[in-house]
Amino acid sequence: MATLSLRHVQKIYPMRDEDKEEKKRQKKRRKKGEEEPARKPSQLKITDEGVVAVDDFNLEIADKEFIVFVGPSGCGKSTTLRMIAGLEDITRGEFYIDGKLMNHVEPKDRDIAMVFQNYALYPHMTVRKNLEFPLDLRGMPQDEMDKKVEWAAEILGITPYLDRRPKALSGGQRQRVAIGRAIVRDPQVLLMDEPLSNLDAKLRNQMRAEIIKLRQRLNATFIYVTHDQTEAMTLGDRIVIMKDGDVQQIGTPQQVFDHPANLFVAGFIGMPQMNLFDGELVEKNGVYAVRVGDAEIELSKDKQKNLADHDARPQKVIVGARPEHITLDEKAGSMIEGTVDVSEMMGSSVHLHINVAGKDCIIIAPRLELDTGNLTTGSTIRFTLAPNAVHVFDPSTEKNLECD
Amino acid sequence: MNEDRITVSNALRRGDLFTRVSAVLMGAGMLGHRQIVKGALVLLVEVAFWAYMATTGFHSLGMMPSLGTEAQGKVWNEAKQIFEYSTGDNSQQILLAGVITCFAIAGLVVLWVLQLRHSYALQRLIEEGESVPTIKDDVKSLFDGNLHVTLMTLPCLGILVFNVVPLVYMISMAFTTYSKEGEHLILFDWDGLNQFARVLNMNGNIGRQFWHVLAWTVIWAIFATFLNYILGMALAMVINRKDTKAKGFWRFCFVLSVAVPQFVTLMIMNIMLQPSGAVNVLLQNLGLITEPIPFWTNAMLARVTIIVINLWVGIPYTMLQVTGILQNIPAELYEAAKMDGAGPVRIFFKITLPYMLFVTMPYLIASFVGNINNFNVIYLLSGGGPTRVGDTAGQTDLLVTWLYKLTIDQQYYNLGAVIGIMTFVILTVITLVTYRNSSSYKNEEAFM
Amino acid sequence: MDNQMAKNTLSPRRRIVNLLVHALLAVLALIWVLPIVWIVLTSFRAEPGAYTKTFLPQGYTLNNYVKLLTDRNVLNFPKMFRNTLIISIFSCTISTFFVLSVAYSLSRMRFAFRRPYMNLAMILGLFPGFMTMVAQYFILKAMGFTEGSSIRIGLIVVYSACTGLGFQISKGFFDTIPRSIDEAAVMDGATQWQVFTRITLPLSKPIVIYTVMTSFIAPWVDFVFAKVLCRANSDQFTVAIGLWNMLQKEYIYQWYTCFAAGAVLISIPIALLFLYMQRFYVEGMSGAVKG
Repeated sequence: MATLSLRHVQKIYPMRDEDKEEKKRQKKRRKKGEEEPARKPSQLKITDEGVVAVDDFNLEIADKEFIVFVGPSGCGKSTTLRMIAGLEDITRGEFYIDGKLMNHVEPKDRDIAMVFQNYALYPHMTVRKNLEFPLDLRGMPQDEMDKKVEWAAEILGITPYLDRRPKALSGGQRQRVAIGRAIVRDPQVLLMDEPLSNLDAKLRNQMRAEIIKLRQRLNATFIYVTHDQTEAMTLGDRIVIMKDGDVQQIGTPQQVFDHPANLFVAGFIGMPQMNLFDGELVEKNGVYAVRVGDAEIELSKDKQKNLADHDARPQKVIVGARPEHITLDEKAGSMIEGTVDVSEMMGSSVHLHINVAGKDCIIIAPRLELDTGNLTTGSTIRFTLAPNAVHVFDPSTEKNLECD
Repeated sequence: MNEDRITVSNALRRGDLFTRVSAVLMGAGMLGHRQIVKGALVLLVEVAFWAYMATTGFHSLGMMPSLGTEAQGKVWNEAKQIFEYSTGDNSQQILLAGVITCFAIAGLVVLWVLQLRHSYALQRLIEEGESVPTIKDDVKSLFDGNLHVTLMTLPCLGILVFNVVPLVYMISMAFTTYSKEGEHLILFDWDGLNQFARVLNMNGNIGRQFWHVLAWTVIWAIFATFLNYILGMALAMVINRKDTKAKGFWRFCFVLSVAVPQFVTLMIMNIMLQPSGAVNVLLQNLGLITEPIPFWTNAMLARVTIIVINLWVGIPYTMLQVTGILQNIPAELYEAAKMDGAGPVRIFFKITLPYMLFVTMPYLIASFVGNINNFNVIYLLSGGGPTRVGDTAGQTDLLVTWLYKLTIDQQYYNLGAVIGIMTFVILTVITLVTYRNSSSYKNEEAFM
Repeated sequence: MDNQMAKNTLSPRRRIVNLLVHALLAVLALIWVLPIVWIVLTSFRAEPGAYTKTFLPQGYTLNNYVKLLTDRNVLNFPKMFRNTLIISIFSCTISTFFVLSVAYSLSRMRFAFRRPYMNLAMILGLFPGFMTMVAQYFILKAMGFTEGSSIRIGLIVVYSACTGLGFQISKGFFDTIPRSIDEAAVMDGATQWQVFTRITLPLSKPIVIYTVMTSFIAPWVDFVFAKVLCRANSDQFTVAIGLWNMLQKEYIYQWYTCFAAGAVLISIPIALLFLYMQRFYVEGMSGAVKG
């Protein structure tokens, strides 16, 4: 049993010198009344206390749930994980395991194990000694340790390498040993910090499948950190998407894919990225539609209802549509026009890069429905967006108008 | 926010009875807040401190302003027909005791602050209903979260007692008349900045010597550091050349001389270069010279000889240190330069040297400091000589060797201390200036 | 074609350059090796005295070594050797503990005193070492470590007490061990002490060996502190003072060749240690600079 609960958790690092200078510059600008320069793609808030690496993180994790923290580097996902592990102090807020406050409990007393990105195996010990190390520290007798180690090695298929040093193992094998060292003592909670990012693509797919299998064999709650949205989508029961220390959205893979809470989530989840168009939300007799260029697309029923529930007003919006939710069907009604820049043959489908009023847009079209002869570079193409899969975002707040 | 902080002022204003009492009876706060062992220990320290102060401490402090007045008495005893000596004051011991007492007081103040804050922290823990760490928890944490306390206490104590205290003691000597000059070896007095004035005054005898020694020290350090650096690097590069055969053998030949203890090689060199030493004998036997070369008795020649021999000692060192770094220079840099058509000389000045300077700046600074303080080379080779009649400093003396002569040989302790302080000041200025420049250099690079 | 030529046979110009480079290296190597060869020859020289009419010895003998190792009346070398050995064993143990402890604390732990300590170490390093020597002597005298056999304790203290300031190379090495290995050990349940003893130290064998050796060698090659502390207590002399004394006016004629023998004797183990250590030295050097 392990339910985790994070309430208003915050992490503030003391300012380094360059942060202090940045803050001084901000103050100067404000005094002079200058415009703030555009924020860099990733920039953390700086307060008087320091740099806010994680701000107001709230999450309840159920027993045996698989949670994935995902976001670009520097978003605070690893920091949150390390606070759960006890490797970083929690600046403010509370963290509970099974209702017990853990803020000041030592890592070793939290019954949490962790798998590190660079494996962090002990180079001077054999694989067996590596696996025994956590058990030995707990004073387990040798015969019990042997059993445990064999069990873990069996699960991960590393029995043949038990007497080798980590140096003599491949990347994938080392990762297995690292996981083995984490599971060998049956922890309540298993933390994984980008465990697959040092592996090549093929091995990564394989290990991903193994982690899913592993999860079924263990009674642990999993928290998994990655910057790779595919891993997040395939592994997680729920996904926590973070950026610049703030939680952007928490939900099942389905939810975050179908109902991205804001522009960032919309862009981050899904490959290739969601297309964004400058457009307008219009309302005629209580019926919402989006206008992109000359085209006007009436939205589907549930979208209508969601927008009405949130009292959406006609306004300029950013219209989002995933590449797979765009149709080239001439009969579908109101059409958007663009010119083909590049067409990429992907086998079963074709990825079309299209220039629409100066903006790049990607369409995934099934190959069978296409007359590929027409799609040479420079040819004009007309398409429309699926009414049930169009997202509308407020350009200033960047929020999805269908969500809170 | 400020009100929550664990500070001394908060402890005094918001502390409970125990906390406040511990401002006087140290450790009371811990005793009253369930940390008996620690509290008792702190209390014991305080008791010991006051006992020390009562027995000797206050007396030592009281003696500090005068540094003692009673000269050793010598009274003719008619009855026994002998001189009887009465023990007088020993200023040097008084000064040492005074310095130690000052450190003891400083130590107690630090302990006072720490224990006060700690007992306030304990009080707050109890108020918030949290459990107070037991002595067992504390001992455990000494091997975990507070391991640095366990590991660093003894080393710090060693540094304090055998480096910081002696240093302060020595520095304080600079302001006294403690010297064999004027027979102030047993009883001496405060002397203000007089000794500094003497040393800095160019017209006085000591001042003249000081500026001479200082000039030679700087010249020596510059030559020793940069010649060694450039030539050592050149040697490393010659050995590292692609076409050089038997790299390992050449390296071994040079490293061998590093491996022999420096003081041995220096003493041998000293003997070899004596008028009837091996070098002169060799040259005479070969018929190159008729009269022995006066390596150590001619000032100019002695200086050149020292620098040359230091090259012999230092070049292999530099070679050893630089080899690894040279091999670390990214090959792309060279390839790019070659593609641009740069020749070997240009490549050296445009790529190798800037890169090496950038990477080895800390090493260069350290070796410059080391050379200014390079005692062994001078002392063992020339012994600072030749020395003019009436001078304490020889023509090849560095500040350090002069310092050694002044204190150990001449017992001019106050002058020695002043020289030591001047050395420190010079080194500090040099180090700060170079570090400044090197860091701005780094920033420039970062902006590129 | 051109490439092939360059690979197989060097162009005449490069050949000449190559020849010159090797000739230069040979001359330089001779300059560097000759004094060492000379001292080894001198240690076997039959005729006494520091200065002879010839560069090379006229006759060879082992007597210098025999005299050095057996004469116990004038300069008792075996006794000095024993003194130095005892001192260096103790000071080496203490120094190694001090250096590694401080280096580990500064590299791995975070505490308020950390920065001030490193700055202080830098400042103290700028004072000439001999400035404190006199004061150290007075303090040791006040403690009673300057008379008789307690001089040994005094020397041990002098050689080891301040070694906590020489943490830089070890810290540089510890800094290169990935932090995540420590963190993994902490997650596995290790205390900081266990991380230090079971992870960091075994992983830092080169630097541990380096520290042990350098601190072991120190008492063998220092003659300044030893001289100040021993003064005329000849039964407390260390090897370095002994060798130094052999070159003083009153002894040099009788003892010069023995000095050469003694120099060879203590140089051999130190040279072997050094040749073994130089790998770590180079590693430590480039590692520390990189970090």
